[in-house]
Amino acid sequence: MTTIQTTTRAQTAVSIVTEFFDVYRARDVVAMTELCTDNCDFDYIPFEVWAKQRVVRGAGKVRTNGRVIWSGLINAFPNLGNDVFHIDGNDDGDVVVACDITGTQQSAWGFISPKNQYFAEPHLFIMHVNEDGLIDSIRAYWDNAGVNRQLGHFEVD
Amino acid sequence: MTTSSRQTVEAFLTGLRLRDIGGALSCVRDDAVVTVFPTRVIDGGRADLADLLTDIARAFPDLLLTVSHIVEVGQVVVAEFKLEGTQAADFLGAINQEKHLDIDTAWRFTVVDDRISAIEAYWCQNQLYRRLAVKRQDHVTIV
Repeated sequence: MTTIQTTTRAQTAVSIVTEFFDVYRARDVVAMTELCTDNCDFDYIPFEVWAKQRVVRGAGKVRTNGRVIWSGLINAFPNLGNDVFHIDGNDDGDVVVACDITGTQQSAWGFISPKNQYFAEPHLFIMHVNEDGLIDSIRAYWDNAGVNRQLGHFEVD
Repeated sequence: MTTSSRQTVEAFLTGLRLRDIGGALSCVRDDAVVTVFPTRVIDGGRADLADLLTDIARAFPDLLLTVSHIVEVGQVVVAEFKLEGTQAADFLGAINQEKHLDIDTAWRFTVVDDRISAIEAYWCQNQLYRRLAVKRQDHVTIV
């Protein structure tokens, strides 16, 4: 007897996103990017740097903003990791991930000078996987005050 | 008639939008587990949620709540929404300087039997402090 195993779109989407966090844990930015569409939307909502004449935000595309932020994080936190607690998907390709992002700071990150401090901060990722099995949207929320506090940086700006 | 998880969350958000805290809390189970990461409330309860919602309603009498996305994944519903308003009272330790707040938030709800059984709320407290003119997070009440 032949058993045909069907996979729902939700299962596929969860599988793709699980792989994304696996390669993120391996700090493989190329592999992370390859799991995304060429035009994948990217929005790290808490990411904003207030300069004198403009505000730099973490919104754009994975292949422009996303890769730069991921690479910068890995440079500053060479052991950057993640612990995934919940991952839920639906048949529209939406996937929600609740996780901790972790790391020990070895070099400057923004205005934060390195003090060899470890952080583990809860993050919520809202992602979408298209019908071709590629991630086409990433949005993330977390509390930078929590990250900064753990890194010994208490100034708001 | 059963209510979808999404409808339950939308009813909660409507209550908050109208600053009808009782209405919002009517969607929440008595034994709900509430985590608000920015305020470091971990595995709190309905009373912690009531305190937060009451503080929001009191501090921002012109509260504007704008939902950008709602995603339903089984019993879990994630709502992304912006809270805006002009500060009219101290809020989460920040002294009232009548600053305008606009903060993007994401709340992860678990809904069981048409009522919310768990909430995890995410926003960036650093962004909130920046908008309310707080300079240091270890001296929130000093301006």
